[in-house]
Amino acid sequence: MGALYLIFLPIFLALPLYLLGRNFGVVKYIALTLFVYMLTQSVALYGQLPEAGYLDLGSYLSVPAFDFVLSLQVDRLSVIMLLLTSVMLILVGLSSWRMKMEDAYFALLVFFSGAIFGVFMSTNFLWFFIFWELTLIPMYFLVGIWGAEGRIYAAVKFFLYTHVASMLILLAFFLIYKQSGTFDMTMVKESMLMTPALIWWLMFVGFAVKMPLFPFHTWLPDAHVQAPAPVSALLAGVLLKMGAYAMIRMVILMMPEQAAAYGWVILSVGLVSLFFAGFMALHESHLKKMVAYSSISHMGLVAIAISTLSFDGLSAALFEMIGHAFIISPLFLIAGFIHHRTGSWQMGDMGGLMQRAPYLSALFVLSGLAALGLPGTMGFIGEITILISTIQAHGVWMIIILLGSMLAAGYLIYSFRRVIYGEMSPLIRESDFSMPKMEFLSLLLFGLLIIVFGLYPQPLFEMINQAFQSYFSAGGLS
Amino acid sequence: MTLTVLLLLPFVGALLTFIAGKMKASLAFWLAEVIGLILFAATLILFSSYTEPIVVNITWFSFGHNTLPFGIYIDHLSLVMLLIATGLGALDIHFAHDYMKEDPDQARYYAKVLFFIGGMILLVTAKELTALFVGWEFMGLASYLLISFWHQNSAPADAGVSAFLYTRFGDIFLFAALGLLFYYTGTLDLQKINALASNGAIDSGVSFVIAIFIFVAAIGKSGQFPLFPWLMRAMEGPTTVSALIHGATMVNSGIYIVARMFDFYVAADALVIVAAVASLSAFIGASSALVQSEIKKVLAYSTMSHLSLAFIGLGVGSLAAGMTHLTNHAVFKALLFLGAGAVIMSAHHTKDLWKFGGAYKMLTLVAIFMGIGALSLSGIPPLSGYFSKDAILVDSLVNPQTNGLISTLTIIAGLLSIAYIGRLWVLIFAGKPRDKALNEKMTTPSKFWISLPLGIMALVTIVLGFFQTPLAEYITGEAFEEVHLAYFAPLLLGTMALIAFVIYKFYLANTEARDKLAAQPLMKALHQLLFNGYYVERMITWFAKSVVVGFVARTIAWLEHHVVDGAVNATVGLSSAIVARLSQTHSHRISNQAGAMMLGALLIISILLIKGL
Amino acid sequence: MSTFVILFATAVLSFAIRSRSVLKLLVLAALLAAGYAAIDAVPLGLSHFGSDQAITLFEIVLLVVMAAVVLSEEENINITQTLFLGAASVALLESQSFLTFVLSFEALSIISFVLVSNIKNREAAIGAVKMFVSGALATALIVLGSAFYLFEGHDLNAPLQEVGVYGTVGLWIMLVGIFYKLTIVPMHTWAADSYAQIRPSHAAILSGMVKSVAVVGVFMTFMPFLLQQNSLNLPVLVMLALVTMTLGNFMALFQKQVGKILSYSSIAHAGYMLLAFVAVKSAYAPVAIFYIAIAYIFMQTALFMLLDKAGKGSSSVTLDDLKGLGTKDKTMALLFTVQLFSLAGIPLLAGFLSKAVLVYAVVDVGLPLVALATLLNSALSVAYYAWIVKHIYFDEPAKHSALGSLRVSGFAAQAILLSGTLYFGLFATTVFDLFV
Repeated sequence: MGALYLIFLPIFLALPLYLLGRNFGVVKYIALTLFVYMLTQSVALYGQLPEAGYLDLGSYLSVPAFDFVLSLQVDRLSVIMLLLTSVMLILVGLSSWRMKMEDAYFALLVFFSGAIFGVFMSTNFLWFFIFWELTLIPMYFLVGIWGAEGRIYAAVKFFLYTHVASMLILLAFFLIYKQSGTFDMTMVKESMLMTPALIWWLMFVGFAVKMPLFPFHTWLPDAHVQAPAPVSALLAGVLLKMGAYAMIRMVILMMPEQAAAYGWVILSVGLVSLFFAGFMALHESHLKKMVAYSSISHMGLVAIAISTLSFDGLSAALFEMIGHAFIISPLFLIAGFIHHRTGSWQMGDMGGLMQRAPYLSALFVLSGLAALGLPGTMGFIGEITILISTIQAHGVWMIIILLGSMLAAGYLIYSFRRVIYGEMSPLIRESDFSMPKMEFLSLLLFGLLIIVFGLYPQPLFEMINQAFQSYFSAGGLS
Repeated sequence: MTLTVLLLLPFVGALLTFIAGKMKASLAFWLAEVIGLILFAATLILFSSYTEPIVVNITWFSFGHNTLPFGIYIDHLSLVMLLIATGLGALDIHFAHDYMKEDPDQARYYAKVLFFIGGMILLVTAKELTALFVGWEFMGLASYLLISFWHQNSAPADAGVSAFLYTRFGDIFLFAALGLLFYYTGTLDLQKINALASNGAIDSGVSFVIAIFIFVAAIGKSGQFPLFPWLMRAMEGPTTVSALIHGATMVNSGIYIVARMFDFYVAADALVIVAAVASLSAFIGASSALVQSEIKKVLAYSTMSHLSLAFIGLGVGSLAAGMTHLTNHAVFKALLFLGAGAVIMSAHHTKDLWKFGGAYKMLTLVAIFMGIGALSLSGIPPLSGYFSKDAILVDSLVNPQTNGLISTLTIIAGLLSIAYIGRLWVLIFAGKPRDKALNEKMTTPSKFWISLPLGIMALVTIVLGFFQTPLAEYITGEAFEEVHLAYFAPLLLGTMALIAFVIYKFYLANTEARDKLAAQPLMKALHQLLFNGYYVERMITWFAKSVVVGFVARTIAWLEHHVVDGAVNATVGLSSAIVARLSQTHSHRISNQAGAMMLGALLIISILLIKGL
Repeated sequence: MSTFVILFATAVLSFAIRSRSVLKLLVLAALLAAGYAAIDAVPLGLSHFGSDQAITLFEIVLLVVMAAVVLSEEENINITQTLFLGAASVALLESQSFLTFVLSFEALSIISFVLVSNIKNREAAIGAVKMFVSGALATALIVLGSAFYLFEGHDLNAPLQEVGVYGTVGLWIMLVGIFYKLTIVPMHTWAADSYAQIRPSHAAILSGMVKSVAVVGVFMTFMPFLLQQNSLNLPVLVMLALVTMTLGNFMALFQKQVGKILSYSSIAHAGYMLLAFVAVKSAYAPVAIFYIAIAYIFMQTALFMLLDKAGKGSSSVTLDDLKGLGTKDKTMALLFTVQLFSLAGIPLLAGFLSKAVLVYAVVDVGLPLVALATLLNSALSVAYYAWIVKHIYFDEPAKHSALGSLRVSGFAAQAILLSGTLYFGLFATTVFDLFV
């Protein structure tokens, strides 16, 4: 039952928090306590995992006639995602400390936390889909209510775009059930399917929207830019990871043969994303859009790593996913903070921030450098592992992905120049940059994570390696 | 223990320095000075107790089936580099006491300098390409941060951007080489790679490509053609930084990496490319240095040119010549830069050569020490520069691959050294003051803080001249055979004397002739060409700004907004058009509605009839 | 006593009672009793009526919804009509022969007309007339169809039998007439106008209760025919279903009046429901039709009743009126949102599961493309549901909009309906177990 609480307690707690919260300022403490509790539970789950395979956490609400069972099972891959999610939730919670209408805001965060845990814990396709869809709801409100001036367009676009993609996923799940007779993702084997190619494509496109990969990425710049900064961080750090997680679990590990046949599709889409978004970021003078495109560009890198279908590549991809969460989030937070205080998005209006807010600027530079893959940060570890694994899988021409990191250097260093260095612009001079303690704490923690795992990634890789080992040692995949 | 101190102290020290400096500004300097000295001492201990290469194997992390190492390897080559880095580092920090005295951000300055030294140490003690790359990038970062140290002004901020981007462009090639080497050899251990290449275990085509990739990175880091413009701009940083990073240490790392992988380069047959690119750079650097009007720019072009000479030394196949020149150059260039720093400081941050003149009186000691550095740079015996430069020039003539255009360019560049450095010295110290007001304001620098480090370096420059052969043998581990061309030394010295005379004439005795010559249109054009560094920066900037940002990125943005996202947004227009059509079918009149129902019923029934009944 | 009798008797009795609170109490007690009767499966008392587990569940759902309707209703006459409708519904659900089906179906129609004839303004009058005229035509078609069917010599007092040419034609003519009630294109035009013109509380009963009951009743009765003539019917039914849902969804997209959006959404849902007719060969089709009817009855009734309260009985509430409801009336905003999301097919709500089962039934009979079209339609529908939610939460409150509030009875009714939407969103077993 414990596992069930992790999902449904937050989901059902959200309603009273929303209705009864009367701005006593208690809700955020409850939410934070809950997130910390979820982290401890995730750590505990990690400790209980068997050497290989799944840890069964029980089945509920069984409808045998439709194989509609809330079966909760976790393996290393999912627990890693749970850990990432709960860490992100805590940090995002901290950085939302001074949000307006905080009761409703935190109620939605709490709702989101339950739904996202559901995504990573359920192994029944239908329930997976239910939670998958459920994560959209709080995001819709978070973007729509707390967002910036273009929030409505962004929220509706985000909601509809990803919802359409979900429909493809649902159809794929139905086809799987029709052909294999089960909704249990641990039981489905590729050989049971009659139209594996169709199912593969439906799922690939569906998940590609969430990741997002070119050409399905256009919801992201809008949603990320308009969302309040912590929500952008949550979107980038958790929601996109959901797409990548599903991509790894269902598109690659569940259907290795199709994945091998269409690996080139993932690879080319990833490459196009990497460069297309990279150039977009170079083009943007809008600070947060630049960060958003940088985020897409990095997810392209993740897709490239996934396309190797190899033990090494998937490990690299998972590391890059975690790294991306910790790197892009502070960039979004800082970009949002700057906008909040100056009222401008244009990098041309800024300059000389270092003179007003040296520590904030330093953290911006740190995360930016991590994003461009400077050694000593998580970004570098991600890039070097992806480089090595893709060369091994696809050949030496994969060194071209480094041009993507050159592009990243271009737009990030140029953005430092425009925002942080140089003479102080009037706008920066007049704005107040004193940062609330909690928000700064969260940024600091992000910075620490980036450096610690950038210098010493071994503990993280031990978890990651174990997560994929069973798939590759059993002889299933290469 | 010593090793741990050497590798970790700079980084820990940087952090401590920053924190201490934030509490009390003067603490930053003292802490940095002490740490600098400890590092130098640790290097000396290593140096004196050295018996055989120190190897420490460390596993960094494993992912999938791969394991990435992060080992340490220290041999003679590393030790020499360590001595340069920590020795000059300590002197530089000492010098900065006065130079940075009035800066409010000392904590940040010393922390960054220590971080830089740490990166350099990491680079030269790396066993594998991984640690080397980490050190390489740390230095690049430190260089970027220090060039932009005075971030509140636009020029240093811009200079930082170009420094980072130019070197980063090279770095991705090193990164690629890392990936390729791991793929083809399965190891990143530099010694193993050298051995494998020598044994012919790596396909020569592959190793040639990898060698070129690594060399591109070296070009970026060491300011060679065509990636040199950042080095000139880097002069916007504090002069102490220019001395340490952009004169003496970091810019050497390109040469170091080629030297470190010398056997690999020999096996890959790539040395001639190194020599060719370097000779071109040497010529560009030397000729551009002739006409610069800023003290530091002259020195920057001179650095470029002399690094090229070291590259040529390697390129013509002489590890000894290249590395001794690197060592000599590091010392005398640090001396010249710091000397220039002393001049600039005394002149209240005036950098324009033409405003000086006759500064000998106020800055006697500095003038003498800089003179020694200038003589060494020019290649006057018995100073250190003479031996290594002479060896390189001779080697380039003797090597059949490089005899010709490469050796010609090299010799011209070598000869021009005396011209531009002579011009520099003459314009600053000799003659009469051109700007009286400035001359009167000039102050005499402190003996302990400023002249002492200069003196030490001048001394080393002189002493090194007598230890060239042992140094070469120490680095290469082989008996040093000097190649001699009997006619060469007299010819060289004779030409140099001639050039010195011309400089004397033009800049001291008969300045009118010079001005007349300079007024010629052809000379003007030539002057502009040289002054702007052959317009290389303008071309690269044009490519980056107009082609990459202006054309490619803009095209992609157009595609994004009008095609990719345009298609998504078009769905709104599409559905409103559909709705408009559908609305026409809807009538609110009851009669129409009833009619539609009957018509529909008829339609359905007739379809069924046609279909199956 | 059977459910039907209790409802009918209470309805008759209710004419005699003036006091609304007494009436409400009495009716609630009667509904409770009827519920017991339904659980005990007491037969209607006439021949050719009968019940089974599934019908029982649906009747209970019906009674629960009626309780909610009665609770929030403010006019005695409407309560009486609701009871009559309930009785007719039970009759339709339990009917097991051709004759009983036709009779109870027509009874349902007639009482519907009576219900909407409680006219308060001109708009409502237009709506009622449209509904009546179209309904008359439909009845004519049904009777015509029955004639064809009987012409072939089938037994009136038996379920549908295997048919020949005339029977097929007859049953199709009947179906076309019935499609009027189900608001299938091209029989939908009246609904698009009427639902948005008559009083929303009437629309709640008509589009929620009556439509759900009708669709279940028709499905159960016509199942033998649909199975027999599957290959003939399939293309026509698929076409009708797709056209209906697509038209409904598109037309709902840019409407300003909330009632209009809901009525087009109701047409779109008719399209979804018709898919169960398409997928009749699948074992999931009966589950699907029951599930979607149950889900639909809760959410549609709830929404129209909310609209009734918000517009104080007027159907003219526009999107602009809803602006800022999220800050003005948290509860009503939340209720709107949950029920709208349920209609949109957002998970953990009944609307999702029911639609999922339905679409799966279509996949099950080997029509993945139709399933895809349905899913995309559903995604399209999210656009206008989310658009309403956008007005409720994202927009600044409109200055001069005076929306009504729920009050206790309205809240109680909504709570009942909400728990239905939530319960059937989580516990699918309840429905699935009936068909094992």
